Amino acid sequence: MNVNSTHQISRRLGLILIFGLAALIMTYLSYSLPRLLPGDFVTAMYAGSDVTLTVDQEAELRAYYTEEAGFCNYLLKLVKLDWGYSYAFLTPVSALFLETFPWTLLLLGTAHIISISIGFIAGVEASWRQGTRLEKGIVGGMTLLEGIPEISTGVILLLIFALKLQWFPAAGAETAYAEVSFWVRVLDIGHHLALPLITLVLAYFPGNFLLARNSMMMIIKAPFITTARAKGLPDRRIRYAHAARNALLPLATRFGLRLAFMITGVLVVERIHSYPGLGTLLFNAIQARDLPVIQAVVLISSLMVLAIILALELVYKIIDPRIEYER
Amino acid sequence: MKNLKKILVCKFALLMMLTLLGTASFTAHAQVDEIRIADSKGDWGYPNAYRHYPRGPGYVRMSWVYDTLIWKDEKGYIPALAKSWTYDPKLLSFIFELNQGIKWHDGKAFSSSDVVFTVEYFKKHPYGWVPMGDVSGAKAVGPNKVIIKLNRPYAPFLAYVGGVMPILPKHIWQNINDPKKCNDSKCFIGTGPYKFIDFNKAKGTYLYEAFNNYYQGKPKAKRLIYIKAGKPLMTLSTGKADLANIKPDMANALKKKGMIILKNARGWNKKLMINHRIAPFSSKRFRQALACAINQQEIIDKAHRGFGYPASFGLLSPDHEFYNPDTPTYIPNPAKAMEILESLGYKKDAKGFYIKDSQPLKVQILSSNITVAGDSVADRDGEVIKQQFEAVGIRVDLVNLEQATTDAKVKKWDFNLAISGHGGLLGDARILNRMINPKATGSVNSARFGANKKLLKLLKEQVSEMDVEKRRAIVYKIQEIYADEVPAISLYYPASMAAYNPKKGIKWYYTHGGIGLGIPISQNKMSLIK
Repeated sequence: MNVNSTHQISRRLGLILIFGLAALIMTYLSYSLPRLLPGDFVTAMYAGSDVTLTVDQEAELRAYYTEEAGFCNYLLKLVKLDWGYSYAFLTPVSALFLETFPWTLLLLGTAHIISISIGFIAGVEASWRQGTRLEKGIVGGMTLLEGIPEISTGVILLLIFALKLQWFPAAGAETAYAEVSFWVRVLDIGHHLALPLITLVLAYFPGNFLLARNSMMMIIKAPFITTARAKGLPDRRIRYAHAARNALLPLATRFGLRLAFMITGVLVVERIHSYPGLGTLLFNAIQARDLPVIQAVVLISSLMVLAIILALELVYKIIDPRIEYER
Repeated sequence: MKNLKKILVCKFALLMMLTLLGTASFTAHAQVDEIRIADSKGDWGYPNAYRHYPRGPGYVRMSWVYDTLIWKDEKGYIPALAKSWTYDPKLLSFIFELNQGIKWHDGKAFSSSDVVFTVEYFKKHPYGWVPMGDVSGAKAVGPNKVIIKLNRPYAPFLAYVGGVMPILPKHIWQNINDPKKCNDSKCFIGTGPYKFIDFNKAKGTYLYEAFNNYYQGKPKAKRLIYIKAGKPLMTLSTGKADLANIKPDMANALKKKGMIILKNARGWNKKLMINHRIAPFSSKRFRQALACAINQQEIIDKAHRGFGYPASFGLLSPDHEFYNPDTPTYIPNPAKAMEILESLGYKKDAKGFYIKDSQPLKVQILSSNITVAGDSVADRDGEVIKQQFEAVGIRVDLVNLEQATTDAKVKKWDFNLAISGHGGLLGDARILNRMINPKATGSVNSARFGANKKLLKLLKEQVSEMDVEKRRAIVYKIQEIYADEVPAISLYYPASMAAYNPKKGIKWYYTHGGIGLGIPISQNKMSLIK
């Protein structure tokens, strides 16, 4: 075993240790922070309801819904993949997560892939046409679009395409309980996905475009691009194989971090379009003080951030082999 | 002649064919394929007594599956599982004659033993909607007659038990010890017009299928579907839903699209909760000064574009049969408010705000979005009230909080003033006990006011008074005392509306006194039956 490989192993072990420690801290925070919310499930569910509880009934309900197992027990349960039971639904939190996660992944994943692909290509092409009227116009437009929040885009799209033109449905992920074939259902899901997806793409695309363009602007001035041109390489090859590849790094970081903040990032759009994802689940759980669900979603969300940062560490090296970590 | 005969025979055959076709077509259209109802929250829990959320929309979702002894339509009480009912004061009992030939969704026969079992089960495993404290027990007299005995005369019995209690199948529930945890499909078997098929927690959708053996007739729609949609205007106008609650300013647009607009009576009130346990709010005169400083109509005009009605200070709605037209009222009068404050020792400082013992008179108002008939409604009332109080010289710290946080603070008496609201004002007058009695510790809408012993005595008496006219007199008096004490200030009744598509041939309506305990939602199951 040479010095290099020993260093590699120790570096990786160090990395795993740091991430493990961070995961433990995040688990503790996801366990303890939701408990600091004012009110509890019984108050949120019954206090303003049509039912007037007696003191005994209230105490009985509180005893039924309150778990004071302590952090160690919570951790032990997590190790056994037991995320607890939702107070509101009295069903396992894992089942709720599995019901909502695919919808968020479909919406956010598709939005990211589309916005990053279009943003990257458009950014590369715009930088190549630097100084032209077209480039200036697009950059201006994108800067403007970048400043418009999802909530405004979502509502405007709804008004035009759902209410006025009636091209797309205003709410939901599919027509509830439609008795249709598999392919018609797929089309229906796509039809429902369109507006929230466009809202998110319009929110993410300008940032990706501007980032790709700015990165490219610096790269195309680099000596190796001049060399490539001098060698008479085809224009497209220089643009994508030589220049654009080097502009990928910041985009990969942005992609990762956006994906990591999946739940909070998509919450507004899910609410506007009544889309049944993780954001909606978290929102409803906070309103109802459904502690096990809040804890689970916060934990998953924070662990996802860690996992993606870890993945990015590895991806950087693949994207740009020149990256060397300090010894 | 022969030809004429042939022509007549042909004409007759044609006529018969047309008649048959017509009948067939009528039969085919008698039951529509589906009805879709939209609401903004979607998820209201599973539709049985122990799993639905304790708010109106949760109860309504359950009501499709479970029938009660009696029910209400747009005019009042109607028979349901019981075809007739009487009260026997000597026996201190209600006697119900049950309909015959009723089946549960699993095909088993319904009988009086199921009713007796339900009473016992709810006594053992309390169901918040049906307080059983005044019910002694139930006895079956043959398969079609039940006697429910009371501990004492209990006037709200029909409103709180007979017309609300979902009857459970004994053959299923007798083996269930933890009703909250029952996930099995058998826990959703009832005698109601619809069978529960599915609830999607993530999407907030519900699917019910018609129970064609329903004892009151075949339901008008084969499937009943609830969908989650936050934009009723879009959902209705694009045909994605057939019925939804709407905001009043959508009414004209929807009417133009051929929708029928339903207007509800005044059964829900927005109110200002007062922490009467602490000074200066513990003073009746001070609370009256607040009432004089408030201009109800201005709140309606500024915060709700005029869609609402000023509320009675006696809590009961003017549309309630026991409403007292002589309930004391507080005409907006800033001068009177200032006069009262000055009589309590407050003096104005240089800036025009009151001070007492060198301390400024400053109140905090908590405000939050609240749920009205299942929809979250933004609150702008706090801003208008702040202006009104400041106009008379009371400094206001307006704090906008998320609803559960406000509820938690109100519940713990950790507040000065808070904007809240509740329905039930068209239902039985027992709502007065729930919204005034200091024992109602679990409610954030209840004034929990125990300072006036006479008021407490009258509240106790009114639920025991079986004579309608005598009870009315007591309830009149309660409203007078309540309005004089102002332990909380009813502000206004928001205009409550729903819209539906008449093309499906269903006539929806608001129930007389509200569904069950007084739920102001236009989704009465009888709309799909009769």
